Amino acid sequence: GKWATTLPKHPPTRLALQHFDATYSAQLGDLWPSVRVALLSERKYGALLNNFCHSPDLEELQAQGSAPLRLHQAGLWPLAAVNKAPQGETIWSEFWSIMPDKFGLLSYYLMDAASVLPSLALDVQANHTVLDLCAAPGGKALALLQTQSARFLCLNDSSVSRTSRLKRVLHSYAPKELLTDDKLRITSVDGTMWGEIERNSFDRVLVDVPCTTDRHSLMEDDNNMFSRSRVGERRSLPRLQAELLLAGIIAACPGGEVLYSTCTLCPSQNLGVVERAVQLAEENHGIRLQVVSLRPLVRMFQNTFHFAPDLHLGEMVVPHLAANFGPIYMCKIRRLA
Amino acid sequence: LLCSASDQTASVSSQSSLRLSPVLSLHSLSDMGFTESQAGQLFDSVSRLKGASAAKHVLSTLTVLFVLGLNPTSVQKLIDKCPELCMVKETQLQQRIQHLRKLGLVEGSLQRTVVHYPKILTVPVKSVKNVVQFLREKCQFTTQQVTEILRDSPAVVLEDLDQLEYKFQYVYFRMGIKQAEMVKCRLFRFTMEDVRCRHVFLERRGLYQTPDKKGQTTIINPKLDSILNVDQHTFIVDVAQASAEEYDVFQKLLAREWKEEELEHGSIEAD
Ligand SMILES: C[S@@+](CC[C@H](N)C(=O)[O-])C[C@H]1O[C@@H](n2cnc3c(N)ncnc32)[C@H](O)[C@@H]1O
Repeated sequence: GKWATTLPKHPPTRLALQHFDATYSAQLGDLWPSVRVALLSERKYGALLNNFCHSPDLEELQAQGSAPLRLHQAGLWPLAAVNKAPQGETIWSEFWSIMPDKFGLLSYYLMDAASVLPSLALDVQANHTVLDLCAAPGGKALALLQTQSARFLCLNDSSVSRTSRLKRVLHSYAPKELLTDDKLRITSVDGTMWGEIERNSFDRVLVDVPCTTDRHSLMEDDNNMFSRSRVGERRSLPRLQAELLLAGIIAACPGGEVLYSTCTLCPSQNLGVVERAVQLAEENHGIRLQVVSLRPLVRMFQNTFHFAPDLHLGEMVVPHLAANFGPIYMCKIRRLA
Repeated sequence: LLCSASDQTASVSSQSSLRLSPVLSLHSLSDMGFTESQAGQLFDSVSRLKGASAAKHVLSTLTVLFVLGLNPTSVQKLIDKCPELCMVKETQLQQRIQHLRKLGLVEGSLQRTVVHYPKILTVPVKSVKNVVQFLREKCQFTTQQVTEILRDSPAVVLEDLDQLEYKFQYVYFRMGIKQAEMVKCRLFRFTMEDVRCRHVFLERRGLYQTPDKKGQTTIINPKLDSILNVDQHTFIVDVAQASAEEYDVFQKLLAREWKEEELEHGSIEAD
């Protein structure tokens, strides 16, 4: 009958759920059931409007029930439309009908709306040099490009195939003038080795690491971090993450700022990694660091996203049915000397 | 008690009904014990039926209902709820009532069931038999349980058997509920959408688990009764420990998930 299905006994999505139930219920307490039901239900997307496109489909987005969200007080970020009203949710396929303008540029990039926060939190100023250590497929890099403020942008991702995807994304959204060699460099090296390439040089570093990507792990059995064959890889994530963050810290110039981000709720991949990297930087490299508060950013967006209360290090967007974005963890640190 | 020519409303309704049913007169109705206003309402109900000879069995139907032991007030209300009963032949009505008795609806519950859900007497014996057989054989309810289902949720006799099977299997396998509990909670009174929405909400919140082969769960599931037989607010706040906003969004999301699911299944079957 309909119910005598022959599902694999332990699909990765199921294993992920068991794992999260065990760890997150302890961590989030009463909040966990709310987060759990949101993670297991349809997520929302945001459309990052492309300022370089000459025919933005603003009207279409609004017709689909998206409410615009002002991203930057200074107006550098005119608009990003975010699906807000529960009635007005829009499905992938509807969004994908976007047409290129006469220059071949697409009008918006679809991403988890909370994913723009790390790019915003980085607070890039004019004449900054910026490194995005794990940049593919490029959503956050694109958000950075939209500000047009960085003097030089260096995008890296160790995966060659994902790096070519990143290049395709950039060419679909940004005009050629912004992608010239003097403004942009794209590399494909192991980010943990960055210190051997360039030290003490970037004003801003984004370290958006590979993680258990909680939403994906719960919903898709393909390419799932919780599949049996990837147990080792999953267990070694915090170490890899700490190494990447440390590499990012070393790549930053004194006075420069590093933003660490993940899309997991897992404390050992979030604050655990930050604590570890800060410690390693001090002990092994004599680098002193200071945590930079992201409270102002949280206050600005607290009506749009649900932030976890009382995190003692960094900020976290937690999924909620009424604002089904995230999870996104962010922590910002400044290099003192 | 007869309506006079000056009583406009009664005369209009009686005239129109008289055309429908030559045998039915206010006089005969008052003989049966209906008050004037009840008689008028009866005419109105019967005249809602379409077709010239639609209500040709009205008198025999009323008689059968009186014989069943119902009083004029109940009978009038019942006909108002279900005027179609006046289209059913006396012999058929008798057979259907007999059949319900045979299924274990004793005096008292039989009458209550008929008053509460008169439509049950419009359903042919054969259809009722099919549903009963389905409940016994496919769902393995005992005879006694089937009687209780008919008594408490008589509308099952008109439900689509595929839908009924889906509901039963969902609650049995996904929720791990045994027949006795389903009967006790009057499961068949609830729509599939209600059952599924409340259950999936709890499940995704981590508050309900499908029991394993040994019937075990790592958490204590709330009782079916406390999930179904409470109003929405109590369900949201006490059982799901959620906010009304969350459940509101969830219902909408789930409705869409189902629509997509149906589309997918539809296309698979079409292949
Ligand atoms: C969360 S994704 C980055 C998403 C990207 N920042 C965006 O916004 O579109 C993590 C990326 O890290 C890359 N990665 C994994 N290990 C790496 C390493 N050792 N060095 C650099 N990149 C790595 C993966 O290929 C993956 O593309």
